[in-house]
Amino acid sequence: MDESALERYFDDSIADDSSFILGEGLGIQSHAHPTQGSTPSLSMKAGSGTEPGDDLDLSFLPDDLSSQVEPGRHNMADSQTAALNVSQDSGIFTDFNSQDSTAADSQQGAPPSVPVPSPFCPMTPMTPMTPMTPVTERSGIIPQLQNIVSTVNLGCPLDLKFIALQARNAEYNPKRFAAVIMRIREPRTTALIFSSGKMVCTGAKSEEQSRLAARKYARVVQKLGFPARFLDFKIQNMVASCDVCFPIRLEGLVLTHQQFSSYEPELFPGLIYRMVKPRIVLLIFVSGKVVLTVVC
Amino acid sequence: MASTSRGDALALPRVTCPNHPDAILVEDYRAGDMICPECGLVVGDRVIDVGSEWRTFSNEKALKDPSRVGDAQNPLLNGGDLTTMISKGTGAASFDEFGNSKYQNRRTMSSSDRAMLNAFKEISTMADRINLPRNIIDRTNNLFKQVYEQKSLKGRANDAIASACLYIACRQEGVPRTFKEICAVSRISKKEIGRCFKLILKALETSVDLITTGDFMSRFCSNLGLPKQVQMAATFIARKAVELDLVPGRSPISVAAAAIYMASQASAEKKTQKEIGDIAGVADVTIRQSYRLIYPRAAELFPPDFKFDTPVDKLPQL
Repeated sequence: MDESALERYFDDSIADDSSFILGEGLGIQSHAHPTQGSTPSLSMKAGSGTEPGDDLDLSFLPDDLSSQVEPGRHNMADSQTAALNVSQDSGIFTDFNSQDSTAADSQQGAPPSVPVPSPFCPMTPMTPMTPMTPVTERSGIIPQLQNIVSTVNLGCPLDLKFIALQARNAEYNPKRFAAVIMRIREPRTTALIFSSGKMVCTGAKSEEQSRLAARKYARVVQKLGFPARFLDFKIQNMVASCDVCFPIRLEGLVLTHQQFSSYEPELFPGLIYRMVKPRIVLLIFVSGKVVLTVVC
Repeated sequence: MASTSRGDALALPRVTCPNHPDAILVEDYRAGDMICPECGLVVGDRVIDVGSEWRTFSNEKALKDPSRVGDAQNPLLNGGDLTTMISKGTGAASFDEFGNSKYQNRRTMSSSDRAMLNAFKEISTMADRINLPRNIIDRTNNLFKQVYEQKSLKGRANDAIASACLYIACRQEGVPRTFKEICAVSRISKKEIGRCFKLILKALETSVDLITTGDFMSRFCSNLGLPKQVQMAATFIARKAVELDLVPGRSPISVAAAAIYMASQASAEKKTQKEIGDIAGVADVTIRQSYRLIYPRAAELFPPDFKFDTPVDKLPQL
């Protein structure tokens, strides 16, 4: 139901006459007619999916959180150290799930940047895996996704020269790199399309946007005449950043968490913390900025 | 002269005195005997002398070296090289009819250890360039051997691994060298040494202590020719600056360089930022940045007994 709804959305946005069916690789072959209610919700979802892209900023949190920071600064520092003490043995991090701060979010009306379980195909990991932690340790800091890299197999060999000549916003320099580099504006992403039919999509700010963008690229290739399919969509890498709003003493952190941390000021000014469970690499900086990255 | 030896601990067939099996035998290697200290019984005789060759041949112009022993054995590092090498023959009988020498087997000594021996040689050369003592070289060799046997970093250039082992050994001995100093004596880039460093730490499951500003003071100051007073002042300044957290996020090398600059500018021996930057391996703009951070509280940073040639308020402000 959801696949063909997306197709319908696609058709609406790109105004394509032909009706291919993408998504065979996902095993969903339904041609059920979606209810009217789902389409507007879908378009709203896709539309609202673009909003975080506008709001996202590296350096500051949403407004309501800044008001929480002042009285709660002490609490955050305590909870941070408490969290660190808890995680000393096993490297488990405290839950920064957006569901915790739904109160904060609902004030703003902005959708959570870490999305709720997606209505789309459950075969690919759309939901972020976060462990649950007791309420007292939540700090209200939400990492904002900055980049998602995903791959998909279009399932047919492609003629890169033809694609580069016909498609807009495509560059192809076989001497430099053996793939067509295509860009679309909405969602703002870049795709590397290889002659084997495999494609890498980078630059999206959420999993759904990445999938949507990949579908758009597949549609472009399809319209050029290739029998493109949408097989094995998989998110490979996700990068997020956040700010804890207080300076961090990296020397202290590397002393207590020696087996997980690597801090070499000569090589890199940030501390590289390799958390075991969940398997996330964090780059922690003195200013309090933290970059999280995970390989899916 | 009789002397105790630890050879008994390693001896394979343990000889013991029949009357006193628990007694530790004393080795007398003038006569080559092993004597029981309780009753004086000579238990083993004709013991092989494992001491070093005591005859020296300094003025020999003879072609052959009459020394009866070869190189000192390197047991920890070489896997006990007990192979025999056939030397180049002398006399007519060692050449066959075409003029080639028979018994040409000189080359293949131990192919698996050859790379390791090459690496040891490289380590020794690198360490010699910066005058590192024997203990660091030994530690480096040990680290290299461990890494080499583990084979987890097999694809990396041996020179890169050797350089990284040298860096780790210096750190572990408490006298760290900066990556740039190791780069200066190695052909490998700093990036590659850094990569190998992290890989080796993971492979050997060790960690190293964090570098501090004080580790480099004596080296930098003596390279600059600064007197002890200035060095002590610079050490104090750098430590105080880090304690007061005036320089968050700055590399300890940069802080040390800035401290040296401040201390030297306050003393009679003034050094320019460029000179200090050359010695420490930091850019002079980096020194300037760190200096700007510590300058506002310069008065507190100096040690209380420091003799100012230039008073604190006359220190250069950049």
